[in-house]
Amino acid sequence: MIYIIFYFQVHQPYRVSRYSFFDIGSTKSYFDEELNRYIFNKVSERCYLPTNNLFRELILASDGRFKISYSITGTFLEQARTYRPEVFESFQELIKTGGVELIAETYYHSLASIFDIEEFLEQVSEHISAMEQYFGYSPTVFRNTELIYFDKLSDVLLNFPQIKTILIEGADRILMGESPLYPRFSYNHVHLLLLKHYKLSDDIAFRFSDRSWPEYPLTAEKYVKWICDLGLMEKEGRNLYLGLFMDYETFGEHQWRESGIFEFIKKVIELLLEVPFVRFIFPSEALRTLNYTPKGLSVPTPTSWADTERDLSAWLSNPLQWNAMKTTFELLQKAKEKNRTDLIPIIKKLTTSDHFYYMCIKYFQDGDVHKYFSPYDLPENAYKYFMNILADIEEKLED
Amino acid sequence: MRVLMLTWEYPPFIIGGLGMACYGLFRALSELGITVKMILPTKEEVYFEISKPEDADFPLAKRENGEPLRTEPLKFYPFFYSMPEESVYGSLSEMLSSISIFQRVERTQLKDIPDGVLERLRLILTQEDTLIQKVRSYSNNVLRLAEKISFDIIHAHDWLTYPAGLILRKATRKPLVCHLHATEFDRALGFGHPVIHEIEYLGLNLADVVITVSNYTKGLVLEHYKVPENKIRVVHNAFIAKSFSPKKIKKFKEPVVLFLGRLTPQKGPRIFLEIAKKVLEKGVKVRFVIAGAGEMERELMLEASSLGIGTHIIFTGFLNRDEVEFALSLADIVVMPSVSEPFGIVALEAMHFGCALIVSKQSGVSEVIENAYKVDFWDIDKMVSYIIELVKNPELLRTLQERVREEVKRFSWKKPAEEVKKIYQELLQS
Repeated sequence: MIYIIFYFQVHQPYRVSRYSFFDIGSTKSYFDEELNRYIFNKVSERCYLPTNNLFRELILASDGRFKISYSITGTFLEQARTYRPEVFESFQELIKTGGVELIAETYYHSLASIFDIEEFLEQVSEHISAMEQYFGYSPTVFRNTELIYFDKLSDVLLNFPQIKTILIEGADRILMGESPLYPRFSYNHVHLLLLKHYKLSDDIAFRFSDRSWPEYPLTAEKYVKWICDLGLMEKEGRNLYLGLFMDYETFGEHQWRESGIFEFIKKVIELLLEVPFVRFIFPSEALRTLNYTPKGLSVPTPTSWADTERDLSAWLSNPLQWNAMKTTFELLQKAKEKNRTDLIPIIKKLTTSDHFYYMCIKYFQDGDVHKYFSPYDLPENAYKYFMNILADIEEKLED
Repeated sequence: MRVLMLTWEYPPFIIGGLGMACYGLFRALSELGITVKMILPTKEEVYFEISKPEDADFPLAKRENGEPLRTEPLKFYPFFYSMPEESVYGSLSEMLSSISIFQRVERTQLKDIPDGVLERLRLILTQEDTLIQKVRSYSNNVLRLAEKISFDIIHAHDWLTYPAGLILRKATRKPLVCHLHATEFDRALGFGHPVIHEIEYLGLNLADVVITVSNYTKGLVLEHYKVPENKIRVVHNAFIAKSFSPKKIKKFKEPVVLFLGRLTPQKGPRIFLEIAKKVLEKGVKVRFVIAGAGEMERELMLEASSLGIGTHIIFTGFLNRDEVEFALSLADIVVMPSVSEPFGIVALEAMHFGCALIVSKQSGVSEVIENAYKVDFWDIDKMVSYIIELVKNPELLRTLQERVREEVKRFSWKKPAEEVKKIYQELLQS
């Protein structure tokens, strides 16, 4: 049996303003309200609303056999409720169908797991509370920001006994030639690790409309054949778990409507529903459908799903990023000590990983994906605006 | 007395200190009854006349016949501005061959420039380098205009205008003054672009008088360009203070130490970073601000942030004029650690804004100010100890800040202008 686990990341950061040195001490807002509203509305039109509709129809039409999972960040939910309540309601509707599993993560989509474990636990709690409050859902599966995972994380998650399963990147460097289709146990054998099949995931997320890709154009029939062929290598009847993990914005935003992405995914799902040895499941269902004992997997250094390195380098590969992130968590610590409830939520929004992603310079010369996502012209400027904001907060903390 | 001024910068088109120095000097010269006719790198074929001090603030663009140009914005093309569009003046060699049409003023005392020099300049200026192309366009423009307007002396500011000055000197035999605000040795910290060195060499050696903005620069000219000492005059820059001394603004609880300048090796931003590092390592609470843009920005930012000093070293990026003044009014101490600074007008500005000063001895301005710590640019430990001394003694800091405000008031462009006028008179009498 091939079990398909669709997982989508739904996230929007609070992008910061072009906060100059001379704005320090002024009343200028840290966050670019206008830009955030504009982007949220744009992506809502292109992706969230049409994709939610499509998936809702597919779930209803399949009689519950089509299943998907989401992690929806706190910063996304806050913006949805402020800028576009109908998007928020559309997710509520979708979840009511019963075909959706919600996954826990850090509320602020941060790298707190790397810098500040206390804060990490706090942000996970905040996120679990939000899932319960808004959707009446208690997650039992966890995914860390951008699929960041390392052995220690499994220990830390013992603080949440309800969490049984973790989604991680099927990075070559940890699998060492083994297939990502077989779930693994964490090094301490506490959590089941579901691995992203990055080849088949990225075929949709990154390569679908790439005309220089030899497989272009990717048809639903071809893609479904690739999935069905996965079973050929399994001779002992072990169940396979295909993790198709991607940004939700793949549909309609990264891959435009004109590329045919919506027709493609609809067709893929309809075809897969007809294959007798393929089934869709929730991530939490993997544990009970296993017909063998998974092997352990050790991940001593962090992996993630970002960039070709699949490590932390998208957010922490240069001193600008390190200094900015380190200072953010230091200020957060200070604000907590002083019980500055006015500043704590603001600093937490600054822990969002995207801010540091914009400061990445490793590919900037090539105008890579970092640039595509960045609202600022240069990583240096992203750093300047961010640090000016931190300087302003630092001054306020002394008041 | 009518002086043809050749300069690459004039407010509001300013890149470095040259534009502000020209403004101050030209304005003061006009007060002494000298008529300045200035040619800038404009696309339009125009010159600017400054015969009254008011003209200096809003110089009027005039056509060759003296008619004012319509009030449309001009198109400039200094370094960072756009390229001149297709030159309307034909090729340079065409221009050079037309030199004979100039009315030759026979001044036997003034030595003629050898023909070989002209040939060499023609060769240099036909290089396919964007900056050299701009110089070529400018020279063409100057030659075309100079035919039609009357003047007694040619005064060229920095190498970009020296070729035009030299060709004009050859064509008219009118005395040429080459004013040196910065040499290629300062900009490049050692050997720079060979073509620029050559143009500087030719300009300085073939000019009738060389004016340098400091003894420091005079030393460079003597050492590197072997210009006869009796031909060099030192005229220090000055500063036009606003009528009032601006108030200090308090933005940070900790004292602010400011670096203000382009982020190029010449200005010593890396030295400033070293200073900041050492001061912060000693646990002294100070905010260091690096204000300005330039080719070293990224490497400096990477280095600063790798010290893990949080927000204690802040980069502002490029500043416009208002922002420069704002930055100065919130700084307590300004450090000018230039490795080689012909003058360093920023020091005088900082004084006007009541900032305590630490300047490198390798600067012209250190020759003319008293109330400043003067340190060799490489003596980082000494600068660190001065900063700590000032931060720990607020009383001392305040006294120094008051003193510099007073001291800067005595600077005026009157004296430099008188010295320049005297040079003109000598040249015209000879």
